[in-house]
Amino acid sequence: MSPARPLRLATVDLEAYRANLTSLVTRMAPVEVLAIVKADAYAHGLETMVPEAVAAGVRWFGTVELEPALRLRRAGIGDEASMLAWQLAADEDWAAAVEHRVDLGVSTLEQLEAFAAAARASGDGVALVQLDVDTGLRREGCLPEDFPALVERTVELRDEGVVRLRGIFSHVSETSPADDLDALERFRELLDVAEGLGARPELRHLSSSSAGMEHPERRFDLVRMGSNGYGIPVTEGVTAADRGLRPILTLSGSVVRTKRVPVGGGVSYDHTWRAERETTVALVPLGYADGVSRRAQHGVEVTIHGRRHPVVGRVAMDQFLVDVGDEPVEVGDEVLLFGPGDRGELTIGEWADRTGTIPEEVACRIGPRVPRRYTGARA
Amino acid sequence: MTTGALITVDDAALAHNVATLRSLVGDTALMVVVKAGAYGHGAVGSALAFERAGVDRLGVADLDEAVALRRAGVTVPLLAWLHAPGETFERAVEHDVTPAVSDLAQLEAAAAAGCPTVHLCVDTGLHRNGAVEPEWAALFARAAQLSDRTVVEGLMSHLANTSEAEDAAQAASFERATEAARAAGLDPRLRHLSASAAVLDRPALRYDMVRVGLAAYGLSPVAGRSSAELGLRPALTLTAPVTTVKRVRAGEGVSYGYVFRPEADTTVVIVPLGYADGLDRAASDRAAVTIAGRRHRVRGRIAMNALVVDVGDAPVSVGDEVVLLGDPAAGHVGAEEWAEAQGGITYEVVTCLSHRIERTHA
Repeated sequence: MSPARPLRLATVDLEAYRANLTSLVTRMAPVEVLAIVKADAYAHGLETMVPEAVAAGVRWFGTVELEPALRLRRAGIGDEASMLAWQLAADEDWAAAVEHRVDLGVSTLEQLEAFAAAARASGDGVALVQLDVDTGLRREGCLPEDFPALVERTVELRDEGVVRLRGIFSHVSETSPADDLDALERFRELLDVAEGLGARPELRHLSSSSAGMEHPERRFDLVRMGSNGYGIPVTEGVTAADRGLRPILTLSGSVVRTKRVPVGGGVSYDHTWRAERETTVALVPLGYADGVSRRAQHGVEVTIHGRRHPVVGRVAMDQFLVDVGDEPVEVGDEVLLFGPGDRGELTIGEWADRTGTIPEEVACRIGPRVPRRYTGARA
Repeated sequence: MTTGALITVDDAALAHNVATLRSLVGDTALMVVVKAGAYGHGAVGSALAFERAGVDRLGVADLDEAVALRRAGVTVPLLAWLHAPGETFERAVEHDVTPAVSDLAQLEAAAAAGCPTVHLCVDTGLHRNGAVEPEWAALFARAAQLSDRTVVEGLMSHLANTSEAEDAAQAASFERATEAARAAGLDPRLRHLSASAAVLDRPALRYDMVRVGLAAYGLSPVAGRSSAELGLRPALTLTAPVTTVKRVRAGEGVSYGYVFRPEADTTVVIVPLGYADGLDRAASDRAAVTIAGRRHRVRGRIAMNALVVDVGDAPVSVGDEVVLLGDPAAGHVGAEEWAEAQGGITYEVVTCLSHRIERTHA
C-alpha cells in the first residue's frame, strides 16, 4: 500500500496549458505558433504535453535537440505536427532526421552536406532544412559573411531534389531595444540576400515569446513560444495575468514533522537561523535535490492552509524547515511552494525572484524524486 | 538526452574512497549514503559499486529510493529515514529495507507491518527529523514492548556541524538518548551520529557506525582541505562535445543579454549543456571548463540548454571534448570551483546534475 500523503508532488494543469496555447495561437493568427518543448517540455513531461498542445492548435514544435523529436516521432506522438531541432552535434543521426521528417536548423555547410547526403542515401527522402542565421546572438547560427555560400549550396541541393528549404530563422539577444532592432534589420537584409540567390523559404521566423507578443512586425511567419505556454512570461514586470495566461505548475509537499523550538534554538545545518521566540517549525521533505534552491532560506515563504510561512535555516538536500509560529500545523498538511497563486501561494515567478533566478530554471530543476501528476481533462 | 553530454563515474575512485574511509574508521561499520541519485552520481550504478567495494550498509532518504535499489539488485542492508505521512511500511518489509523511525506513529506502523528491525532517530539539536528529548521515554518504552517482533537495531541522530562545542553538546545529548534507551531495556547495537565531516574531524563521535555521503564520492567535506589532502578521489566527470565554434570581434555581445562583450577578437564555442542539465545559472560568466587540458572561462548567461566558453585563440574544433567538471588532481575544474562560482556548496553542484544526462560507470 502506498502512503496516504505524498512526500512531494508537482502538479501540471493540462487545461490551463491548452488554454494558454489556444490564447497564444488565436492572438498570433495567421502567424504560426511553434511551441518550445526543450528540456522535457521545461520539465513538465514531453510526451504528455505535446498532444495537449496539438489539441490547442499548435502545429509546430521546437525540441532544440534532435533526440526528443525522434522520440516523439517513434512513439507516434504529435505525428501531424512539424518538429524543429537546431542544436546539433557533429555526428548527429542525420538519416533518422530524414526518415522521421524532423526539420533541422542548419548553421554550417558541413551540417547541410551531411543532412543532404542522408536524404540522398535514403532514396526518396528529403532533408527538411531551415537555415539558422546569426543576427547577433553569436551562438548557433551561420555568420552573415558565410551565409551566401550556405544559401547557394542549399538552393543547389533543393534543385537536386534532396533538400526542401522550409525556413530561414534567427534568434535575438533581448539585450536592449536597440540591439534587437539591429538584429531585425540584419535579418531583413539576410532574407533579401537569400531571395536574391534564389531561395524561397516557406517560413521566416525571428521572435520568441516576448518579442512575438510585443512586436507584431517581428513575427514574420512564425513565433516560437516557450515560457508563455507554461504561463510564465519572461518580460520583466509582466505577470501571467497581465498576459491573460495562467501558470500551470504547482509544487507541493506534505509536512512530515512539527517541532517546538525554544527561544534561541538553532535549526538545520550551521544553525544559521535561531528562534527569537518559542515557536513551531514544520519539516517539509523537499530539498535542493528536488529543485528547492538553497537561496530559498532568505525570503521565500511557503503556504499552509492559505497562510504564508517563511523558510528558515539551511535548505538541505532532502528537506527544509518552515517557521509556522503558533499555527495549528500538523503532520500530513499540504505545503504549497508555488502555484498559480489562487490559494495564497507564491507564483513560480515570485519564487524565482526570491531565489535570484528565472522561472524556467525553477521549473527545470525540479528533481526526479518529485512525481508529476496531471490535472484537468486530457485532450 | 542532451547532445553528447555524459557523466562518467569512476568506480575505482569510489572503491578507493571506501578504502580510505575504512582505514580511517577501522572497525566502525561503514554506511554510504546514496540518496538523491547517489548525490547525482546515479543511484543504481553507484550503489552497486559501493556494494562491490564492501561497504556494510547503504542509506537513502526515502522508501521509494530504497525500493528502486532493491529492484535493481542491490543486496546490502538498506536504511531509509524520511517517511511520508501515513507510511505503512509494507514496502519496507517486502523489500527488506530497515526504516529509521522518528515517532510513535512510525514505530507502530513499522511494527504492525512486521519490520524485523528498526532504527530510532532522535533529535539532538538539528531540529529536523528525530524525536525530541521529551518524547524519548515514551518512544523507547513502546519500542521495548514491541521488541519481540521488531528489534531496535540502531539509534541515530544527525549533527548540525555548527561548531565543535555544539557538536559536543549534540554528542552529550546522544549519550543521554543511549542511556535512556538502555534504561528502557533496548540494546541498539548500531549507534550512528557522524556524517562525512564528523567522520574526518571528530573521531570521538564515530560510535558503532558512520554514515558517509560526500566523502565517498571523493569530495571534501572539510572547508579548506582538498580531496587529495584527505586521500579522496572525485569520481564524477561531466563532459560534452563542442557543437559550434565562432570567431567574435572585439566589442560584440554574445548570447542572451550580451553579458559578455570581449575586449579583443576571440573565439567562442557552444557547449550543449545548460541550467536544465543542472548547471546553476548563478555560475554564469564565472565558471570555467577545460578543453584539451586548457582552462577556459564560461562567458555570458548559462541558457537552458547551452553555455558559451571563451577559448581565446586556442585551436578548438566542433566535436572536441569539453570537461565541465572533474578531478582537480587531473587538471579538471572541480566541484569546489563550481560551488564558488555559483555561491553554493559542492553537494548541490553534483546532486543537481540532471537525471536526464546519461551516466556511465567505468
